Amino acid sequence: MGNKVFNVAVFFVVFRECLEAVVILSVLLSFLKQSIGVKDKKLHKKLVIQVWTGAATGFIICLGIGGGFIGAYYKYQKDIFGSAEDLWEGVFCMIATIMISMMGIPMLRMNKMQEKWRVKIARSLVEVPKRKRDYFKLSFIAKRYSMFLLPFITVLREGLEAVVFVAGAGITTQGSQASAYPLPVFVGLIAGGLVGFLLYYGASRSSLQVFLVISTGILYLISAGLFSRGAWFFENYRFNKATGGDASESGDGNGSYNIRQAVYHINCCNPELDNGWDIFNALLGWQNTGYLASVLAYNLYWLCLIIVLGLMIFEEKRGHLPFCRELKMKHLNPGYWIKNKKAKELTEDQQMALLNKIDNLEFDENGEIINELNNAVTMPGSSGSDRDSKTDANKKDAEVKTHIFEE
Amino acid sequence: MNLSILLTFTLLYNVVLAKIHTFNWTTGWGNYDVDGTFERPVITCNGEFPWPDIRVAKGDRIEIYLTNGFTDANTTLHAHGLFMKGMNQMDGPPMVSQCPIAPGDTFLYNFTVDDNVGTYWYHSHTLGQYGDGFKGKLIIEDGENNENFPYEYDEEVSIELSEWYHKTSEELIPSFMSLFNPTGAEPIPQNLIINNTKNLTWDVKPNTTYLLRLLNTGGFVSQYFWIEDHNMTVVEVDGVYTEKNTTDMLYITVAQRYSVLITTKDDTSKNYAIMQKFDDTMLDKIPKELELNATSFMTYNSSAPKPEESYVDSLDDYLDDFYLIPYDKVEVYGEPDYTITLDLKMDNLISGVNYAFFNNITYTSPKIPTLMTVLSAGTDANNPYIYGTNTNTFVLNRNETIDLVLNNLDSGKHPFHLHGHVFQLVWRDRPYDSDLGEEPHAYNETESHTFPQYPMMRDTVYVNPQSNFVLRFKSDNPGVWYFHCHIEWHMVQGLTIVLVEDPYGIQSDPTQQINQNGLDICKSVGVMTSGNAAGNDDFFNLKGQNVQENFIPGGFTAKGIVALTFSCLAGILGLATLAFYGLMDIPDAVEKVADDLSIPLTDIVDTSTHFT
Repeated sequence: MGNKVFNVAVFFVVFRECLEAVVILSVLLSFLKQSIGVKDKKLHKKLVIQVWTGAATGFIICLGIGGGFIGAYYKYQKDIFGSAEDLWEGVFCMIATIMISMMGIPMLRMNKMQEKWRVKIARSLVEVPKRKRDYFKLSFIAKRYSMFLLPFITVLREGLEAVVFVAGAGITTQGSQASAYPLPVFVGLIAGGLVGFLLYYGASRSSLQVFLVISTGILYLISAGLFSRGAWFFENYRFNKATGGDASESGDGNGSYNIRQAVYHINCCNPELDNGWDIFNALLGWQNTGYLASVLAYNLYWLCLIIVLGLMIFEEKRGHLPFCRELKMKHLNPGYWIKNKKAKELTEDQQMALLNKIDNLEFDENGEIINELNNAVTMPGSSGSDRDSKTDANKKDAEVKTHIFEE
Repeated sequence: MNLSILLTFTLLYNVVLAKIHTFNWTTGWGNYDVDGTFERPVITCNGEFPWPDIRVAKGDRIEIYLTNGFTDANTTLHAHGLFMKGMNQMDGPPMVSQCPIAPGDTFLYNFTVDDNVGTYWYHSHTLGQYGDGFKGKLIIEDGENNENFPYEYDEEVSIELSEWYHKTSEELIPSFMSLFNPTGAEPIPQNLIINNTKNLTWDVKPNTTYLLRLLNTGGFVSQYFWIEDHNMTVVEVDGVYTEKNTTDMLYITVAQRYSVLITTKDDTSKNYAIMQKFDDTMLDKIPKELELNATSFMTYNSSAPKPEESYVDSLDDYLDDFYLIPYDKVEVYGEPDYTITLDLKMDNLISGVNYAFFNNITYTSPKIPTLMTVLSAGTDANNPYIYGTNTNTFVLNRNETIDLVLNNLDSGKHPFHLHGHVFQLVWRDRPYDSDLGEEPHAYNETESHTFPQYPMMRDTVYVNPQSNFVLRFKSDNPGVWYFHCHIEWHMVQGLTIVLVEDPYGIQSDPTQQINQNGLDICKSVGVMTSGNAAGNDDFFNLKGQNVQENFIPGGFTAKGIVALTFSCLAGILGLATLAFYGLMDIPDAVEKVADDLSIPLTDIVDTSTHFT
């Protein structure tokens, strides 16, 4: 029943992506208010409308793409996965676990997320094309409608990401159907919007943080459940392959599972057959047969999460991982080295310069950005000692926060 | 006076006429292509296949010297349906009435057929062997040339139906009794065969009445049987003559026999199809390549074309044997002196293997053949305990009326066979369909049931899915008798009970004492010939008896509780860590972002240097 109308994993993915889009919007709106809000109310209104139109257009387009994608998936799903269903369900569970695990923790760092978007948006606003000829192409439209294009592109991108996540997370729920999508997507959007609303119109930061902790907690409960279910599906697949049928769909009783691998089994509460238990299954990964593999998977998942969080806490307090002074979390990501990001990292001063530039951003009467007027940027290295700039940065940060949370 | 002389003379005449039929049979293996599609090892008789038919007259003596020619398997032989009065040790089930015959040993099955006439068969009673071909027909004529048969006919023909596997029981049983067959799905046969072949041709003469003896000697599926445009008049079931009953279609479970009269047509221009059809509801799944119908040919005219397969609109119009009336019109026996109630179910034991149960007991062979326990137990012989607690043994007193109530909690049909007797089928309930949400329906004694005045009598009868039946019989045949499902797979799963009928009567009858041959074969297989089910001389000490595996515990066991506790604890700890991290203050967010973000922004800042 639960899987037919409400897919929990889908809800949380949509909620999370929606939150991200909302942050972008709130950052943009904050920028506008800050730079022109008081100076030119008419222009401000015009640009605000542009922002909203851009966001809405991006949203509608990706809703369409998402719907088509999911529809197509469910249309062909049977043909693709048919006999190896349990194996695929296991694989999808594992993929969903990884995806949810990766996106969950950043959600906890709402202010970090805001900063990230501030920097990203700042870059797109003040970026000067390197080649002259680019000016003659889209520059006029781009400049004139940057407050439309920016939210449009970001919302579209976030939205498409959500579509991929939703498809990935959704199909991992047993017996899920296309009908299980609209409701969680809708509710996820509302919840995300609500958080954005609170964010923009100044809910207290700590209550927002509590809210995020709770929802992230639920997300990880789901994720741990998915991981355990993945292991369960692999075990079930092995058993079904050996038996040549799907024993677990035949009932709850003896013979519906591999007793030699079972840690526990109860003859009821089968999430595939009994109403109500499928919700328990989607939320916590419940199965009426606990295989050694699925129980171990569940416990190991939490153990890993605790270790990772512990390392992050340590790093946030001390600035590096335990026992290795130079090593940070991100250095453990192979992609970091492959892309050679280290060379391209912003120094703190550059970061500062960028943010200063943004704060002095101005718009002409058409809503175009006049970034040539920027004269507040300080050259890296030319602004005194590191210590000073750091103090500046902290001060700046505090100001930004004030803008975002209190305006 | 005259009458008594006449009677004496008649008896004498019979004795003089009674013949002795001697067979020397050695089992073995050979490769044969039975169904025309695949050559496989089959059990041979003196190197030949199929096994010979036995045809004797009532009162004759049969002597079968059965030599076990296998190298690695024991064997036994059972004459299905024969009463074996006073000759229980010739009945055949190993560890019940005899010891298994070891390789190289010979056992003489030596018995007279005094009380049976009609259509019977013999088969190995050692698990799986008759599915590999160890079986044959056993026809008992009623008087010389069947002259005492109650109905007129011109010619006699017999047709033996069966299913056929391409694998031997030796291969099938281990994968059937396996963790990986948790639902106890019976192996699917590859073909239906008829007289040990496929697509048989039966040449018939026009305007002739045939007595057709039909036997299902299979080990699993029931078959529908019909002949295109011909009806069949049932006159005998399982050796019991019946009042004539005409039908278009028969439903024959394994081990059942029907004799029918068929009168051929006048017109010889056309040939007709003889049809066999699987009762596919008994199959766990129906493979695409499985032919559910098998066609044979009733040929009037060999130059005319062979008939096409014959179709029927419905399979529901088969003859329901419940309504047959015995020719002798035996009235329903009176109220039972003793009632045995059996609840049939299939379930898995702790190893994950699926077993069959009567009253939660799956038949597990005793260490001493039950007949030998009876003979050695003295006055304790009427106590069922000494026969073991895992053998489902019931002790019956002599000449009582026994009701056997069977409640089938399983969703399959099961054909049940009682050794040494024919019974009255006094009640058979309709099927209860689990797919329609119907629950198993047990027989309720307190409800009033109308039993037929002349119930049908036979030795093998089916119970409907999730349904029940009541068999009524007289305990007038001292001996140890099996009552079991005749589906060989279910025998392997233990769907058997044992009836010890009149134990003191067995003890006091000199012909029932185990003969030297019977004692010798025990020695070869290392089985003792006295003691209780556990082989102990202290009859009430069952220590060491064979028992079934444990049941699967219901609900959570200790390790399940530990697993769940740890999982909950892990979840709570994980969430706590998450909350701690989430609520932790971040003193320097911008710096962190600057650190985390790795987008190439340097060029922007570089560009901006132009303006300063």
